[in-house]
Amino acid sequence: MEPAEVEFLAEKELVTIVPNFSLDRIHLIGGDLGPFNPGLPVEVPVWLAISLKQRQKCRVIAPEWMDVGKLEEIRDQERKEDTFTRMPSPYYMELTKLLLNYASDNIPKADEIRTLVKDTWDTRIAKLRLSADSFVRQQEVHAKLDNLTLMEINTTGTFLTQALDHMYKLRTNLQPGETAHSQDF
Amino acid sequence: MAAAGGEGPERDSDGAGEELELTPAQLIRSLEQAWLNEKFAPELLESKPEIIECVVEQLDHMEANLKRAKGGDLKVSVHRMEIERIRYVLSSYLRCRLVKIEKFFPHVLEKEKSRAEGEPSILSPEEFAFAKEYMANTETYLKNVGLKHMPPNLQKVSLLKSVPKPNLDSFVFLRVLERQENILVEPEFDEQRDYTIDLEEGSQHLIRYKVVAPLVASGAVQLI
Repeated sequence: MEPAEVEFLAEKELVTIVPNFSLDRIHLIGGDLGPFNPGLPVEVPVWLAISLKQRQKCRVIAPEWMDVGKLEEIRDQERKEDTFTRMPSPYYMELTKLLLNYASDNIPKADEIRTLVKDTWDTRIAKLRLSADSFVRQQEVHAKLDNLTLMEINTTGTFLTQALDHMYKLRTNLQPGETAHSQDF
Repeated sequence: MAAAGGEGPERDSDGAGEELELTPAQLIRSLEQAWLNEKFAPELLESKPEIIECVVEQLDHMEANLKRAKGGDLKVSVHRMEIERIRYVLSSYLRCRLVKIEKFFPHVLEKEKSRAEGEPSILSPEEFAFAKEYMANTETYLKNVGLKHMPPNLQKVSLLKSVPKPNLDSFVFLRVLERQENILVEPEFDEQRDYTIDLEEGSQHLIRYKVVAPLVASGAVQLI
């Protein structure tokens, strides 16, 4: 899956905005939104929030987990533990990137947040690499990966599954049985 | 303010009138689930004609509404953005299926031919026609380009044997939607014994596709 496709899924998450226009309820196929009143916060999907922000029609309010104190706690916990901590949002990386790219003026201490999220991401990816390595070494056939977000799984997902497939094919062909597909002429 | 800016369809109307009575929101969610499953499954999954028909109907309905809408530029553009998003998922889903049909065409046709009466089909009527045409074209092509120049006793090629089958032993990532108990995990070597695991709701796993194939078909797990 392309990272852009993971971002596409992340854009469905809801975020609070404060519009500067008014509009009555919109009945989208996926659900209802609004009504929009200037100055009153309303929840919309991220794809809409970004579009409105670009047209200067709203102000974005950072999600409550996007705060320096909370993110520091998460980063420290991630570094301490061997297992993966539960992240405040299954799309924390994508939301951080999107909101900080398009609405950094609405988010306090944007740079610090960017650094904290990146540090946490790096720690988690390093743990993922280690655990994928041990999975392969011990030839496990099952792994539980709760608390991993889609974007993280997606970084190694395709490569890992293809590599596992190749190894499986090589290993099963070591013991030719009736399943061996060799050609007879 | 123009009320016709984007009157969404009624909550319960789903014109195909099958046993599926989904709200539009649930319909879109099912489409996305089907899309993700199809993307990550190594084989061609069941075709979902009800979902596709309903989604196309919703999109057409919305497009028609938007054409009639007078003012409300913002409303129109919001609806259009949503339509584009849904259309992307739908096209990606259908394209993914076509790629698999082209890749595994003899096996897909064979499976369809040997399908029992009550079992759901893996090909929609259009996909079936496409697969048959693709197979006929490939056979003709092989014959004209190579086979007819071969010695007479080697002029047959079994596409079923020469085209690789989908690898059901490949690993997939999944998220559990409905709790499952006692799923048998078969290890590769005889020295490792079989063991069973329970799949908790909301947990994520990496496992062989073959083990969870029926769960994907029933919607108990979602491939990610």
